[in-house]
Amino acid sequence: MAKAKRKAGEINSSSMADIAFLLLIFFLVTTTMDVDSGMKRTLPPIADNEQQQQDVELKQRNVLMVNVSKEGRIMVGAEEYMPADLNRRGDHSRMSREVLDFLVGADRSEKKAAEVEPGISCDISQGVVSLKADNETKYNIYLQVQDELTHAFNVYRDMVSVQAYGKQFNDLNEIQAGNIRKAVPVKISEAEPHDQTR
Amino acid sequence: MAKKGKKEVPAMSTSSLPDIVFMLLFFFMAATTMRDTDPLVNVNMPEAREITELDKKGLVNIWIGQPLQRGEGDALKIQLNDQICEVSDIQDLVHDSSAKKGMALSQMLINLRVDKTATVGKLTDVKQELRRAEAYSISYAAKTRVH
Repeated sequence: MAKAKRKAGEINSSSMADIAFLLLIFFLVTTTMDVDSGMKRTLPPIADNEQQQQDVELKQRNVLMVNVSKEGRIMVGAEEYMPADLNRRGDHSRMSREVLDFLVGADRSEKKAAEVEPGISCDISQGVVSLKADNETKYNIYLQVQDELTHAFNVYRDMVSVQAYGKQFNDLNEIQAGNIRKAVPVKISEAEPHDQTR
Repeated sequence: MAKKGKKEVPAMSTSSLPDIVFMLLFFFMAATTMRDTDPLVNVNMPEAREITELDKKGLVNIWIGQPLQRGEGDALKIQLNDQICEVSDIQDLVHDSSAKKGMALSQMLINLRVDKTATVGKLTDVKQELRRAEAYSISYAAKTRVH
Protein backbone atom coordinates (compact mmCIF):
# COMPACT_ATOMS: atom_id res chain seq x y z
CA MET A 1 0.00 0.00 0.00
CA ALA A 2 1.09 3.51 -0.73
CA LYS A 3 -0.46 4.65 2.54
CA ALA A 4 2.80 4.37 4.36
CA LYS A 5 3.54 7.10 6.88
CA ARG A 6 5.18 10.01 5.18
CA LYS A 7 6.86 12.84 6.99
CA ALA A 8 4.87 16.04 6.46
CA GLY A 9 6.94 18.52 4.50
CA GLU A 10 7.77 21.75 6.30
CA ILE A 11 5.71 24.75 5.29
CA ASN A 12 7.73 27.19 3.30
CA SER A 13 7.80 30.30 5.43
CA SER A 14 9.59 32.58 3.03
CA SER A 15 6.39 34.45 2.18
CA MET A 16 5.63 35.10 5.84
CA ALA A 17 7.67 38.28 5.68
CA ASP A 18 5.69 39.49 2.66
CA ILE A 19 2.40 38.89 4.42
CA ALA A 20 3.60 40.69 7.51
CA PHE A 21 4.84 43.62 5.44
CA LEU A 22 1.50 43.85 3.72
CA LEU A 23 -0.32 43.99 7.04
CA LEU A 24 2.15 46.53 8.34
CA ILE A 25 1.63 48.81 5.36
CA PHE A 26 -2.13 48.47 5.67
CA PHE A 27 -1.98 49.64 9.30
CA LEU A 28 0.39 52.44 8.47
CA VAL A 29 -2.04 53.81 5.92
CA THR A 30 -5.32 53.44 7.77
CA THR A 31 -4.34 54.66 11.19
CA THR A 32 -3.21 57.93 12.62
CA MET A 33 -0.82 58.59 15.38
CA ASP A 34 -1.88 62.06 16.47
CA VAL A 35 -3.43 62.42 19.87
CA ASP A 36 -6.30 64.82 20.20
CA SER A 37 -5.48 67.54 22.63
CA GLY A 38 -7.38 70.61 23.57
CA MET A 39 -8.62 73.01 26.20
CA LYS A 40 -11.73 71.71 27.90
CA ARG A 41 -14.62 74.02 28.65
CA THR A 42 -18.18 73.61 29.79
CA LEU A 43 -20.82 75.74 28.14
CA PRO A 44 -23.57 77.17 30.29
CA PRO A 45 -27.11 76.01 29.59
CA ILE A 46 -29.20 78.46 27.64
CA ALA A 47 -30.95 80.75 30.07
CA ASP A 48 -34.62 81.38 29.53
CA ASN A 49 -35.91 84.91 29.78
CA GLU A 50 -36.94 84.66 33.40
CA GLN A 51 -33.53 83.47 34.45
CA GLN A 52 -31.85 86.15 32.46
CA GLN A 53 -33.76 88.77 34.42
CA GLN A 54 -32.43 87.58 37.73
CA ASP A 55 -28.95 87.04 36.37
CA VAL A 56 -26.47 86.07 39.00
CA GLU A 57 -25.23 89.32 40.41
CA LEU A 58 -21.58 89.06 41.13
CA LYS A 59 -19.77 91.53 43.25
CA GLN A 60 -17.80 94.00 41.21
CA ARG A 61 -14.52 93.10 42.86
CA ASN A 62 -14.98 89.43 42.02
CA VAL A 63 -15.20 89.96 38.27
CA LEU A 64 -12.25 90.58 36.02
CA MET A 65 -13.34 91.78 32.63
CA VAL A 66 -11.22 90.66 29.70
CA ASN A 67 -12.09 92.28 26.40
CA VAL A 68 -10.53 91.38 23.08
CA SER A 69 -11.10 93.90 20.29
CA LYS A 70 -11.19 92.95 16.65
CA GLU A 71 -7.73 94.43 16.13
CA GLY A 72 -6.44 92.10 18.82
CA ARG A 73 -6.03 94.63 21.61
CA ILE A 74 -6.68 92.99 24.93
CA MET A 75 -8.07 94.79 27.94
CA VAL A 76 -7.65 93.04 31.26
CA GLY A 77 -9.43 95.15 33.83
CA ALA A 78 -7.94 98.55 33.17
CA GLU A 79 -4.68 97.35 31.67
CA GLU A 80 -4.08 97.04 27.99
CA TYR A 81 -2.05 94.32 26.30
CA MET A 82 -1.08 93.60 22.74
CA PRO A 83 -0.97 90.13 21.14
CA ALA A 84 2.81 90.36 21.33
CA ASP A 85 2.55 90.29 25.13
CA LEU A 86 1.02 86.82 25.00
CA ASN A 87 2.90 83.59 25.27
CA ARG A 88 6.29 85.05 25.88
CA ARG A 89 9.06 82.71 26.72
CA GLY A 90 9.23 81.84 30.37
CA ASP A 91 6.56 80.81 32.76
CA HIS A 92 4.43 83.86 33.09
CA SER A 93 3.48 86.44 30.62
CA ARG A 94 2.55 89.85 31.99
CA MET A 95 -1.08 89.12 31.31
CA SER A 96 -1.42 85.86 33.16
CA ARG A 97 0.47 87.45 36.06
CA GLU A 98 -2.18 90.13 36.18
CA VAL A 99 -4.94 87.50 36.21
CA LEU A 100 -3.14 85.54 38.91
CA ASP A 101 -2.78 88.71 40.93
CA PHE A 102 -6.54 89.18 40.62
CA LEU A 103 -7.08 85.68 42.04
CA VAL A 104 -4.44 85.81 44.76
CA GLY A 105 -4.10 89.48 45.69
CA ALA A 106 -5.41 90.27 49.17
CA ASP A 107 -7.22 93.41 48.05
CA ARG A 108 -8.49 91.95 44.79
CA SER A 109 -11.06 89.15 44.59
CA GLU A 110 -12.87 87.90 47.65
CA LYS A 111 -11.55 84.74 49.35
CA LYS A 112 -13.77 82.22 51.04
CA ALA A 113 -12.69 79.27 53.12
CA ALA A 114 -13.68 76.04 51.41
CA GLU A 115 -13.08 72.44 52.33
CA VAL A 116 -10.83 70.75 49.81
CA GLU A 117 -11.46 67.51 51.64
CA PRO A 118 -12.81 66.92 55.15
CA GLY A 119 -10.27 68.36 57.52
CA ILE A 120 -8.36 70.43 55.00
CA SER A 121 -9.72 73.82 54.20
CA CYS A 122 -8.22 76.59 52.13
CA ASP A 123 -9.10 80.12 51.23
CA ILE A 124 -10.33 80.02 47.66
CA SER A 125 -10.77 83.05 45.50
CA GLN A 126 -14.31 83.78 44.37
CA GLY A 127 -12.98 85.53 41.29
CA VAL A 128 -14.54 85.04 37.88
CA VAL A 129 -12.90 86.03 34.64
CA SER A 130 -15.38 87.29 32.12
CA LEU A 131 -14.07 86.98 28.59
CA LYS A 132 -15.62 89.03 25.85
CA ALA A 133 -14.44 89.11 22.28
CA ASP A 134 -15.61 91.00 19.24
CA ASN A 135 -17.25 88.88 16.55
CA GLU A 136 -14.49 89.90 14.14
CA THR A 137 -11.67 88.85 16.47
CA LYS A 138 -9.43 86.20 15.02
CA TYR A 139 -9.73 82.82 16.68
CA ASN A 140 -5.96 82.60 17.00
CA ILE A 141 -5.81 85.56 19.38
CA TYR A 142 -8.92 84.40 21.20
CA LEU A 143 -7.32 81.05 21.93
CA GLN A 144 -4.04 82.64 22.99
CA VAL A 145 -5.99 84.70 25.52
CA GLN A 146 -7.81 81.57 26.70
CA ASP A 147 -4.42 79.92 27.03
CA GLU A 148 -3.10 82.73 29.23
CA LEU A 149 -6.21 82.70 31.40
CA THR A 150 -6.03 78.93 31.81
CA HIS A 151 -2.38 79.28 32.71
CA ALA A 152 -3.24 81.69 35.49
CA PHE A 153 -5.86 79.29 36.86
CA ASN A 154 -3.45 76.37 36.63
CA VAL A 155 -0.82 78.28 38.57
CA TYR A 156 -3.47 79.13 41.13
CA ARG A 157 -4.40 75.45 41.38
CA ASP A 158 -0.78 74.65 41.99
CA MET A 159 -0.68 77.17 44.82
CA VAL A 160 -3.80 75.72 46.44
CA SER A 161 -2.43 72.18 46.04
CA VAL A 162 0.75 73.16 47.80
CA GLN A 163 -1.28 74.78 50.56
CA ALA A 164 -3.57 71.76 50.98
CA TYR A 165 -1.29 68.81 50.29
CA GLY A 166 2.20 70.26 50.13
CA LYS A 167 2.60 69.07 46.55
CA GLN A 168 2.24 70.52 43.07
CA PHE A 169 -1.02 69.77 41.29
CA ASN A 170 0.64 67.41 38.83
CA ASP A 171 2.10 65.30 41.64
CA LEU A 172 -1.23 64.71 43.34
CA ASN A 173 -3.00 61.40 43.14
CA GLU A 174 -6.28 60.97 41.29
CA ILE A 175 -8.54 61.70 44.28
CA GLN A 176 -6.59 64.71 45.48
CA ALA A 177 -6.48 66.16 41.98
CA GLY A 178 -10.23 65.70 41.73
CA ASN A 179 -10.69 67.52 45.05
CA ILE A 180 -8.57 70.42 43.91
CA ARG A 181 -10.35 70.55 40.58
CA LYS A 182 -13.65 70.78 42.40
CA ALA A 183 -12.39 73.38 44.87
CA VAL A 184 -10.73 75.55 42.24
CA PRO A 185 -12.84 75.46 39.10
CA VAL A 186 -11.57 77.27 36.05
CA LYS A 187 -14.00 80.15 36.23
CA ILE A 188 -13.78 81.66 32.80
CA SER A 189 -17.13 82.89 31.66
CA GLU A 190 -17.53 83.32 27.94
CA ALA A 191 -19.91 86.17 27.53
CA GLU A 192 -23.38 85.71 26.18
CA PRO A 193 -23.36 86.88 22.56
CA HIS A 194 -25.31 90.01 21.95
CA ASP A 195 -26.41 91.76 18.85
CA GLN A 196 -23.65 94.19 18.13
CA THR A 197 -25.54 96.08 15.48
CA ARG A 198 -27.82 97.52 18.11
CA MET B 1 48.81 31.07 2.89
CA ALA B 2 46.65 28.40 1.46
CA LYS B 3 43.80 29.59 3.62
CA LYS B 4 43.54 32.93 1.81
CA GLY B 5 41.77 31.33 -1.11
CA LYS B 6 38.42 32.73 -2.29
CA LYS B 7 35.62 31.71 0.04
CA GLU B 8 31.95 32.08 -0.86
CA VAL B 9 29.97 34.27 1.52
CA PRO B 10 27.00 32.31 2.85
CA ALA B 11 23.56 33.81 2.09
CA MET B 12 22.17 35.98 4.88
CA SER B 13 19.54 34.21 6.84
CA THR B 14 16.15 35.90 6.47
CA SER B 15 14.31 33.60 8.81
CA SER B 16 14.00 36.31 11.47
CA LEU B 17 12.63 38.90 9.07
CA PRO B 18 8.99 37.96 9.69
CA ASP B 19 9.57 38.28 13.42
CA ILE B 20 10.97 41.76 13.02
CA VAL B 21 8.14 42.86 10.75
CA PHE B 22 5.53 41.40 13.06
CA MET B 23 7.07 43.28 15.93
CA LEU B 24 6.78 46.52 13.96
CA LEU B 25 3.23 45.62 13.05
CA PHE B 26 2.22 45.09 16.66
CA PHE B 27 3.88 48.34 17.64
CA PHE B 28 1.84 50.27 15.09
CA MET B 29 -1.35 48.46 16.00
CA ALA B 30 -0.91 49.43 19.61
CA ALA B 31 0.36 52.96 19.13
CA THR B 32 -2.08 54.25 16.54
CA THR B 33 -5.79 54.60 16.21
CA MET B 34 -8.05 54.10 13.25
CA ARG B 35 -8.77 57.13 11.17
CA ASP B 36 -12.50 57.49 11.43
CA THR B 37 -13.35 60.51 9.36
CA ASP B 38 -11.74 61.97 6.30
CA PRO B 39 -11.19 65.66 6.63
CA LEU B 40 -13.01 67.74 4.03
CA VAL B 41 -11.69 71.04 5.29
CA ASN B 42 -8.17 72.16 5.96
CA VAL B 43 -7.66 73.38 9.50
CA ASN B 44 -4.54 75.20 10.57
CA MET B 45 -4.91 74.93 14.31
CA PRO B 46 -3.54 77.57 16.67
CA GLU B 47 -0.90 76.71 19.23
CA ALA B 48 -1.41 76.70 22.96
CA ARG B 49 0.32 75.48 26.08
CA GLU B 50 -2.37 74.69 28.60
CA ILE B 51 -3.93 71.81 26.75
CA THR B 52 -4.77 68.34 27.92
CA GLU B 53 -5.04 65.04 26.12
CA LEU B 54 -8.59 64.16 25.20
CA ASP B 55 -10.18 60.79 25.60
CA LYS B 56 -11.01 59.33 22.18
CA LYS B 57 -14.13 57.71 23.53
CA GLY B 58 -17.12 59.94 23.09
CA LEU B 59 -15.18 62.49 21.12
CA VAL B 60 -17.00 64.25 18.31
CA ASN B 61 -15.02 66.53 16.05
CA ILE B 62 -16.31 69.70 14.50
CA TRP B 63 -13.97 71.27 11.98
CA ILE B 64 -14.11 74.86 10.84
CA GLY B 65 -11.75 75.58 7.99
CA GLN B 66 -11.12 76.09 4.31
CA PRO B 67 -12.85 73.49 2.13
CA LEU B 68 -10.34 71.23 0.44
CA GLN B 69 -12.44 70.78 -2.64
CA ARG B 70 -12.06 73.49 -5.27
CA GLY B 71 -15.08 75.48 -6.29
CA GLU B 72 -16.51 75.63 -2.79
CA GLY B 73 -15.41 79.21 -2.37
CA ASP B 74 -13.01 80.74 0.07
CA ALA B 75 -15.43 81.03 2.96
CA LEU B 76 -14.71 78.82 5.97
CA LYS B 77 -16.97 75.80 6.18
CA ILE B 78 -18.09 73.59 9.04
CA GLN B 79 -17.54 69.85 8.86
CA LEU B 80 -19.20 67.37 11.17
CA ASN B 81 -19.28 63.58 10.65
CA ASP B 82 -17.87 63.31 7.14
CA GLN B 83 -20.00 66.06 5.71
CA ILE B 84 -19.91 69.78 5.26
CA CYS B 85 -22.84 71.35 6.99
CA GLU B 86 -24.45 74.60 7.96
CA VAL B 87 -24.69 75.98 11.46
CA SER B 88 -28.38 75.06 11.58
CA ASP B 89 -27.60 71.36 10.93
CA ILE B 90 -25.34 71.01 13.94
CA GLN B 91 -28.08 70.17 16.44
CA ASP B 92 -29.36 67.23 14.39
CA LEU B 93 -25.88 65.94 13.53
CA VAL B 94 -24.70 66.06 17.13
CA HIS B 95 -27.76 64.12 18.22
CA ASP B 96 -27.13 61.64 15.40
CA SER B 97 -23.60 60.92 16.46
CA SER B 98 -24.62 60.52 20.09
CA ALA B 99 -27.22 57.98 18.99
CA LYS B 100 -24.67 56.22 16.80
CA LYS B 101 -22.18 55.94 19.61
CA GLY B 102 -24.88 54.96 22.06
CA MET B 103 -23.76 57.59 24.52
CA ALA B 104 -25.69 60.36 26.18
CA LEU B 105 -24.80 63.84 25.00
CA SER B 106 -23.67 64.74 28.48
CA GLN B 107 -20.93 62.09 28.29
CA MET B 108 -19.62 63.26 24.97
CA LEU B 109 -16.99 65.83 24.32
CA ILE B 110 -17.31 68.08 21.30
CA ASN B 111 -13.87 68.89 20.02
CA LEU B 112 -13.80 72.15 18.10
CA ARG B 113 -11.01 72.13 15.56
CA VAL B 114 -11.09 75.69 14.39
CA ASP B 115 -8.76 77.36 11.94
CA LYS B 116 -6.52 80.18 13.18
CA THR B 117 -8.08 82.61 10.76
CA ALA B 118 -11.68 81.92 11.71
CA THR B 119 -13.54 84.65 13.53
CA VAL B 120 -14.90 84.40 17.04
CA GLY B 121 -18.34 85.19 15.62
CA LYS B 122 -18.37 81.95 13.65
CA LEU B 123 -17.25 80.04 16.72
CA THR B 124 -19.93 81.68 18.83
CA ASP B 125 -22.61 80.62 16.33
CA VAL B 126 -21.46 77.02 16.63
CA LYS B 127 -21.28 77.21 20.42
CA GLN B 128 -24.78 78.65 20.63
CA GLU B 129 -26.04 75.81 18.48
CA LEU B 130 -24.32 73.29 20.75
CA ARG B 131 -25.89 74.88 23.78
CA ARG B 132 -29.28 74.54 22.11
CA ALA B 133 -28.47 70.87 21.43
CA GLU B 134 -27.60 70.56 25.13
CA ALA B 135 -24.07 69.43 24.36
CA TYR B 136 -22.22 71.41 26.98
CA SER B 137 -18.81 69.73 27.11
CA ILE B 138 -16.54 71.20 24.51
CA SER B 139 -12.86 71.57 23.95
CA TYR B 140 -10.83 73.94 21.83
CA ALA B 141 -8.36 71.84 19.87
CA ALA B 142 -4.85 73.21 19.62
CA LYS B 143 -1.37 72.13 18.77
CA THR B 144 1.17 71.97 21.52
CA ARG B 145 3.32 75.06 21.63
CA VAL B 146 6.91 73.97 21.81
CA HIS B 147 8.65 77.14 22.87
